[in-house]
Order: sequence, then C-alpha cells, then structure tokens
Amino acid sequence: MASVTFQNVIKNFGDVKVIKDLDFIVKDQEFLVLVGPSGCGKTTALRMLAGLEEVTSGQIQIDERVVNDVAPKDRDIAMVFQSYALYPHMTVYDNMAFGLKLRKTPKDEIKKRVQEAAEILDITHLLDRKPRQLSGGQRQRVAVGRAIVREPKVFLFDEPLSNLDAKLRVQMRAEISKLHQRLQTTFIYVTHDQTEAMTMASRIAVMNKGILQQLDTPQVLYDRPANLFVAGFIGSPSMNFFPGTIVVKGDAVEVDMDSFSVTIPEGLADTYKGMNGRKVIFGIRPENIHDPNFAPVNIHDQRVQAKVDVTELMGNETFLYMLNGKNTIVARVDPRSHKRVGEDVEVIFNMDRLHIFDAETEEAIR
Amino acid sequence: MEKTDFIKKNLPTILWGAALISLYFVFSSLIAPYSSGITLNSKIVVDRLKEIGGFLLGIFGALAVVEIYFYQIFFRQPTNQTSAIIIRSIQAFIAIVAILLVLYFFNATDLFRIGDGGLGKIVNAPLNLQEALKNALIKSKFASKTSAGTTASILLSLVFFILYAVIHFISKPRASKTGLAYLLILPAFIGVLFLIIYPFFFEIKLAFSNASLGTQATKNAQYGFIYGWNNFKTLFTGTVAQDAKFGAVLWRTVLWTVINVTFHVLGGMGIAILLNRKLMFKGVYRALLVIPWAIPTTIAAMALRNEFDSRYGLFNILLGDLNAWLLNLSLHTQGVIGIGNLFHWLATVIGPVSWKQDPFWAFVSVLISNIWLGIPFMAIVILGGLQSISQEYYEAAEIDGASRWQQFRNITLPLLSPVLTPAIILGVVWTFNKFDIIYLITQGGPQEKTDILVSSMYKAAFQFYRYGFTAMFALVIFAILFVFTLVYLKISGGLKSATE
Amino acid sequence: MKPNLISRSLRWFFYRSHGDSPFKTLLIHLTLIVACAIAVYPALRVITISLRPNDTLLTTDLRIIPQNATLDNYKEVLFGSPEKNRQSDFFLWIWNSLSIVLVTSIISVILAAVSAYAFSRFKFRGRSAGLVFLLTTQMIPAGMLLLPLYIMIAKLKMINTSLGLIIAYAVTSVPLTIWMLKGYYDTIPIDLEEAAYIDGASRFTVFTNIILPLSTPALAIAFIFSFMGGWSEYLVARVILQKNAIFTWPLGIFTYAQQFTVSWGQFSAASVLIAIPVMALFLYTSKWLVSGLTLGSVKG
Ligand SMILES: Nc1ncnc2c1ncn2[C@@H]1O[C@H](COP(=O)(O)OP(=O)(O)O)[C@@H](O)[C@H]1O
Ligand SMILES: [Mg+2]
Repeated sequence: MASVTFQNVIKNFGDVKVIKDLDFIVKDQEFLVLVGPSGCGKTTALRMLAGLEEVTSGQIQIDERVVNDVAPKDRDIAMVFQSYALYPHMTVYDNMAFGLKLRKTPKDEIKKRVQEAAEILDITHLLDRKPRQLSGGQRQRVAVGRAIVREPKVFLFDEPLSNLDAKLRVQMRAEISKLHQRLQTTFIYVTHDQTEAMTMASRIAVMNKGILQQLDTPQVLYDRPANLFVAGFIGSPSMNFFPGTIVVKGDAVEVDMDSFSVTIPEGLADTYKGMNGRKVIFGIRPENIHDPNFAPVNIHDQRVQAKVDVTELMGNETFLYMLNGKNTIVARVDPRSHKRVGEDVEVIFNMDRLHIFDAETEEAIR
Repeated sequence: MEKTDFIKKNLPTILWGAALISLYFVFSSLIAPYSSGITLNSKIVVDRLKEIGGFLLGIFGALAVVEIYFYQIFFRQPTNQTSAIIIRSIQAFIAIVAILLVLYFFNATDLFRIGDGGLGKIVNAPLNLQEALKNALIKSKFASKTSAGTTASILLSLVFFILYAVIHFISKPRASKTGLAYLLILPAFIGVLFLIIYPFFFEIKLAFSNASLGTQATKNAQYGFIYGWNNFKTLFTGTVAQDAKFGAVLWRTVLWTVINVTFHVLGGMGIAILLNRKLMFKGVYRALLVIPWAIPTTIAAMALRNEFDSRYGLFNILLGDLNAWLLNLSLHTQGVIGIGNLFHWLATVIGPVSWKQDPFWAFVSVLISNIWLGIPFMAIVILGGLQSISQEYYEAAEIDGASRWQQFRNITLPLLSPVLTPAIILGVVWTFNKFDIIYLITQGGPQEKTDILVSSMYKAAFQFYRYGFTAMFALVIFAILFVFTLVYLKISGGLKSATE
Repeated sequence: MKPNLISRSLRWFFYRSHGDSPFKTLLIHLTLIVACAIAVYPALRVITISLRPNDTLLTTDLRIIPQNATLDNYKEVLFGSPEKNRQSDFFLWIWNSLSIVLVTSIISVILAAVSAYAFSRFKFRGRSAGLVFLLTTQMIPAGMLLLPLYIMIAKLKMINTSLGLIIAYAVTSVPLTIWMLKGYYDTIPIDLEEAAYIDGASRFTVFTNIILPLSTPALAIAFIFSFMGGWSEYLVARVILQKNAIFTWPLGIFTYAQQFTVSWGQFSAASVLIAIPVMALFLYTSKWLVSGLTLGSVKG
C-alpha cells in the first residue's frame, strides 16, 4: 500500500541527459503503465525507483519517505526483470523463497507464502525444477511469483512480456491485471507496447526522450492526447496527420491541406476563429474515417476524395491506405466495403473526433 | 526427525574421517621402524599445522589492519574540524608506522642498507618498541620470558585497535562508489607487489653489482654503474653459463618458443575442432587427451627422459624395429630395381639416434616432450572458445555458400580471437620461460646445446653463482618478452575486449 | 530385420552430427584414437616400469604389463626396505607437499576470487592498468624471481620452512587466477545481482549466494591450477628446501634417482602413487575445464 512520487527527477549518464525533469505521482493501489519508445528512459526511471541507479538530482518518495539514499533492499519493492533474472543455481522454490530467507522469515511462513503464490500462478508442479528446465512462459510466472511472495508495497515490472510469443503475451496480460485486482497494491509497469498499456493500466504515463508527455487514464489519452507525440503513439494504426493552414471564412472555419480541405463543425469551431492563417497539423484516427455506405449517422461528416493504394483485409475490419495529393490517408473501415486497389473512392471523416495541433509546438489546440 | 537429518547430512563426512583415521593407523602399524629415514609422525604434523596456522594468523591479521585503515579512509568522514584533525593525525601516524615497517623489511632483506645510524634507529623504531615493551614486561614480572613476546605484540595490536575505534567514534559514514573495489583488490595486490615488485627491484639492484660466490652473495658485493655495464658487456660478449654465447642461446630460445607454440596452437586447434561436435565417447576422448596436462610435470619429464634412453627408451626401440623391418624389406625386394635400393637407403637413414649425445636430437627430444605436454591446455582453451560461437553463424555462412575453409577463416578465427590472443601471449611467455622440462630431461646438455635463455640463467645463478650477472641476464629476458607482448598487442588489436 | 539392426547400430556408433558423413566420422574417431594413444602411452609406460621386478628393469620389452609383474617396488616405496634398513619417507613428502600446496591454493583462490570480482563489477580508476599489470607479471621469468626470493627468504630465516614456499607459490599463481575468474564473472548477467539486491541481499550476500555458487566451475579450475602448479614444482623447492625432512615429493622422488644405483622401479612406483590421485582429481574436474577456463574470453 503505497504511493510513489517523482519530484523533478533528473538523470545523466556522464554528459548524456537521459531523464529530464520527471515529475509525477503514482497513487496508492494504482496500476501505472510507463510507456514510450525504446531508449526513452523508462527502464532508467524504474531502476532509479528500485534503487539500482542513483538519482542525479530531484527526489523519489515512496509514501512520505524520501528514498534517494535508501538501499534497494530497504525500499520494500519487488521487481520483475525483462530477462526474468532467475537464479540459475536455485530451484523454483528457492528462487521464490530467497528474499524471504534473507529477511529471516520463519520457515513455515515461507513455505505457506510460496505455496500460495505458486497456486495463484499455477506453478505448484514446477517448484522443484531449476530455471533452465522451464519454458519462457513458466520462467515469467516464476519471476512474478518471486515478486509476490515478498508482499511488497510496490511492484515494478520492466517489459516482463516482451520475451514471450504473441499468444502467451495476451494471456499473461490478463493474468497480471487479475493479479493487480487481487493484491490491491501499487503496480508500476514499463513497456514500449501501447496495446499493453491501454489494456492493463489504470493510468498511463507516456514518455519520450526522457520527458513525460502526458499522464492520464487510457480513455483520456486516446480521446484527448495532449500533443502530437501522444496522439501518434497511442492507438493502432496510428492517427493520420495532415499539415495544413486554418482558414476562417466568416462563421465557418476550415483547415486547408492543399490537396483537400475540411470544415470544422460549428460546436468546435469557436476555438479556432481567431487563428486565421495559423499553421497546424490536422489529425484524425483511422477508425474515424468511414466508407459512406457504412458511416454512422448523426455525425458531422466531411467527404474526402482519395485513390486506394493498398488494402489489408483483417476479416473483422479492413485497412485502406489511400493517396490524396501528397497525403496518405489510413482508414479502418467496415469489412463489407469492398474497395479495389487503384479505385477512386470517397471517404467520410467523422469531424466530431478531429484533433488539431500547433505545427510548431506540436501541442494540441483546444 | 532433526537428529536423523543431522546424521544423514554428516554421514559422508563422518565416514571419510573414520576411513582416513583407520588408514593412518593401518599404515603406521605397517611401517617398520628401520634405522635410516624419517617417518611421518603426529609431532611433525602438529608442528607444521602450528607453523602454518601462526603464519596465516599473522598474514590475515596484517591484512585486516591494512583493510580497516583504508576502509576508514574511504567510508568514514570527520564530523567537524576537531575530529578531522584527530583523525588525520592518527591516520598519518599509522601510515608512518607502516612505511617504517616496509622500510625495515627492505632493510632486513637487503634491498637497501640503512645501517644502524640515526636513520636506522628511526626505521627500526616500531620493532625496537616491541622489543622494549617485551623487556619491560619481563622486568616488571608481568609476563614470563616465553610469553613476553606474544604479550607485547598483543598490547601493540590493542593500541592499533584503540586508534581505529577512536576514528570510528568521531566520524560519520560516507558513501564511496569505488572504495569497495579498492578494498577488494588490496590483499591480492599487496601480495603481488611485495613478492613480484620487490624481487624485481632487487634484481635491478643486483644487476648493477658484482655479487657472486666470491662476494658471499650480497654480503660483500659492490654496487655501481660500472658493474652493471660489465655484466651487460659479459652477457653479449662473454659466456652466459659455461661455454654458450648469448646470441646462440637466444636463437635457440626463439626456435624453442616458435616451434612449441605453433605446435601447441595447431595441435590444440585440431583436437578442439574434432571435439567440438556431437560425437560418441566425446567425454572419454576429452578425459584421455588431457592426461599429459594432468600428470605432474616432474613425473612426465622423468618418464619421457627414460623414453629417450639410447637402448631401452621407447623411441629407439621403435626406430630400431623400423630399421630392422626396412632392412628385411630391402632384402626381399632386392631384385626389384629402385625399390630395393630405396628401402636400403631408408634403412641407413632411419634408425636409432643418440638422443643424449647429438645436440640436434637432444633438442628434438625436449621439443617433443614439451609439445606433448602443452597441447591439451591449448585444446581446452580453444574448445571453450569454439563452444561459445553460436552455430547460427555457420548456418548463415553455409546459406551464403561459404566453404568450410572460408567459414574457418571468416567466422571461427575472428570470433576466437578474444580467447586466442591472451592464450597465445601467455603461451609464448610461458614457453619462453619454461625450462623445467629442459632442466629435467637434458640438463641443457650436451655441451649446453639445448639450453635456452632461462635455463642458462638458472645455471649462471645456481651452478656458477654469478648473481650480479644473472640479474642483468634476467632483466634482458624480461625486456625481450615485454617488447614482444607490446608488439603483439599492437598487431592483434590488443586486449580491449578482455580488459574493458 | 538384420540389415536394419546393423545400420542402426552403425548409425549409433557414428552419431551423425550436422553434415558429417559416416566416412568422415570414422576418420574423426580414428584420429582421436591415435591422439589418445599418444597422450596415454607414456603414462602407461611409467606404470609398466613400476611393475617390473628389479632384475629386469632394463629391457627392450614394450608390453604394458611386464613379465613377472610384481608390486615389490610399491611395497618398498610405501613401507621402506628391510634389506637397506631404511624407512619410507614417502608419506612425509606427501604431507610436506600437501600441507604447502593446499594452503597455497586456498589463499590464492580466496584472494583472486575477491579481487577478480572487483575487476569484473566495478569501474574504478586504474582498473585496466591493474589488469595489464597482472598480465605483465607473467612475463617475469620464474628464475628471475628465484634469486631475490631466495635471498629474501634466507634473510627472513625461512629457508627450509614451508612458509617460504607457500609465499612463493601463492603469489605466482594469483595474477593468472584473477584473470581467469574475472573472465568468468563477466559472463554472469548483472541482472541476477540486481534481482538479489531487490530481494534484500547485501553486497556480501550477493557475492556468497549468487556469484560464488555460479562460478563453481571457474573456482574449481582456479583451485586445480594453483594446486597443480605447486604440487609438481621442482626448481623453486630445490632452492628453498635443503633438508630431507622438509622435502616435497618432487624433491623426494629424485632421491631415488640420485642414489648410487638409480632405482627406476621405485621412482616409477612413487610417481604412480603420486600421480594417480591428482590425475583422478583433474579428470573429475575436466567437465568444468572447458567452461571454467575463460582466459579473458567475452560472452559470445
Ligand atoms: N549505464 C548507462 N550508461 C550510459 N547510458 C545509458 C546507461 N543505461 C542507459 N543508458 C542510455 O539511456 C537511455 C535510456 O535507456 P533506457 O532507460 O534503458 O530506455 P528504455 O528502457 O526506455 O528503452 C538510452 O539511450 C541508453 O542508451
Ligand atoms: Mg528498457
């Protein structure tokens, strides 16, 4: 049961600035996912919290306690490593019991807790094996088991699923979520995979180049991304971005993209009325672009002409990659709309779901 | 439950103990008390254990004192100005005592002579103090004559302990990233420095002296640049042991080293490549092939020396048989023109050789012996390297159409180089310096024609007692090896991967 | 049925690895068998000589088990000889060697294990220099150290004691052992240590509970190396030990070769008795040799 606070945390490796002013709070019992592209400093942030890496400046707190100078073993945390880091010379049982033994927990208590954890994770039959006799998925479970027997205040996960195959990953994702519900403890989970983030998190912190971009619930992140990076990072396939200019024509506000232009619906237009001539980036998610035959009703629609370049049939949906001037438009449309490559088509943008970003600062304009 | 567990756990130990004890009694009852010779008895054992125990206690005690000293430097800091002054002065005091002890050691072991004058008194102060304390203890009837020495030492240790305690209590902890690293390497480095660097400096000193049997080693030796120059001149113009000249011996040493290391690496590589695959009996082959390495060198050398005996040694018996067989063959093929003569000619060429008298064959005999001894080590090192190369590289190369030789050239060799580079360097250095085989098999004979630099040096020191000359000799050998290593590292791209 | 069986057993014998034809496999086996014979034969000859009766020591016979094989030589080596009214020094030599070499190996493995850890896991000033320095010490000829060492040991009045030899042996084996162990530690992932820190271990616990158990092969090899180095060392011992009572076995068995009549039979019998336990130890650990002997190799 604990909250975690990063206060103006900075980390440099020599001259390389890896973390630039990280500042956020993880609430008690929260499942926070730290997501971002590879090399953005997620692992470094997590390792600083674990005490494996020193903080260059700033403070890290667990609950009210500043832990900058506290040894890892005294922080009451547990961590699941990407490589699992199971001790090769110990059996699964000993791997899980090691932390408890070091803390001088009574033998019966150790046995009880290991059994319990093993049952939760369904690895009771593996307790006598050595790590090298286990499959990847089993090792992963043992690594998680080693963390939960300790009953720590905070669980740290560093890309724990990235070494598993796709199917196992989906399964483990659900199990870790269940585990969080069951244990009711603070989880901090690092991944570069936005799907993992979206499916598991209570809140997501998006990082890029050592800077926190946005921290909010998955839904808010999806609906109202704070900037171009978050908008592009969250959601798959990525949001369409078209550079353009705002043109105010009396009451109507349009965004001109050279090869086509769109009209901003009345309810949203007020914000942009005073911005005539401003360079912006217009964004819309593929799922908000429709085939006219299957478009939802009661939306502010905007028809756009394009030529189909590639189609990807997924069965339950179809991805259309279309060209319009210099712009590529990606749409995720109803599988019944049979478009052929090379065909000239008309698609409908759902203008209620538009995003507009400043071309220079890349911040969302709302 | 607990009890049976205990017995179960310790049963093997108990049985081993019982077996060893009964073995001891069986043997001691079997060994008859004859007049000459010495029997191993419990007194000898106990004395040795005492000697070694005391020694270890002393060494580890001294190491502990040094370690605590540096621990306090790295991990404690003064709390205020007063404590800073006290701590630094205590540390300075201990440092001075330590330096005096080291100087005393150098003085006592002749690295330099301080004499008994003022400086000598200062250097001897710490030990004189112990002596004085001891005498005082005896006088005051505080301790008996036998225990006074120990008591005095204990009292002095107590002083150190108190000084450390003072530092500890007036300081506060401090974090140090690298302090622990230095504390960890300290014991090994103290040992290495004392026992390698000290002799090294001693050797430099000796090199510039005329120390010999006539001067009673270092007792009456004269030191000066001129002696060094003389030694140096003698080395290159005079004889290095009895008759041999430096140039000839150096050339033989280079031959010795190159031939040995070449065969070691090639042979080792061959065996490693053969073993680096799935193979029946692989474990058996490996175990049998390391036997030359497993046999104690002394025994192997003596066994091989016997095999080079001109009449009863294996090699000449085999060569004799071969000779007889060829002769026989030439008799039977006399009629066939060419072949008969060929066999006859072969029979005159191939036959027993005099391994002991002929310098060439004597050299061949030590070469054969050392090659035989050295291949397993290289084979195992290379096998380790080969096993760490992933099979995927070869599969990729095969898909790219690389031949076996190209795979060896472009995958095996480069990926093996982090292992091969240090192994070859060490191989060369060790072989260059390895003379126990030569010493045991030929004693450098006949007429010093199988001596290499190091064995000549050993003779110069311990047969001809030319100490000063030997020291200069040793320095030159070291310089040769050092230059070789530097050049080799330059060429092969260095030890980066290993020292990083 | 029958051809199948034959081909099956043939395949069993020529266990076919990737791409090796049966003919090639046969050749590999033949080569290895010849190599093994060359490696083993001289050792077998020592046993042969030790079994010969005293009157047929000199013979051109090449049989491994000689005619009229006898254990007389062993008996004399172990229990002395009534005819010469001479006791056996064999156990004394073994004890002298063992007590010196065991202590040496233990000291040098402890020192090396600890400093190699620092070299492997810490970045500190002088690290590379230290490693290169250790390698440089290997270039100093043993004979070069011998003379000053002899003078030093003489001045310290340690001639004819085991301590002089212990010091000399321990220090000469430490530098190489450090290199070997450092190379091995480098292959142990740092993740394991970090996991242990988080589990609640101190640096010391990590060293004893993670690093040491995981480097058993390298530690065993390091121990064997120091042991073998000192166990059969002759030249340094010859200079430092001059009294019969303190002789190590390499000095001891040469007394068989230096008496008026060279007793090769006893020399060989003693050699066999000494070599067999050591070789057994060595062969037992040979399964670790390949993985444990990492001369600065990097993880591939
Ligand atoms: N010990 C280190 N020394 C120097 N640079 C490092 C070190 N560890 C990480 N980095 C650098 O810090 C950046 C962030 O690394 P990391 O936190 O591992 O990224 P992520 O986990 O988000 O992929 C990377 O550019 C990496 O190269
Ligand atoms: Mg990472």
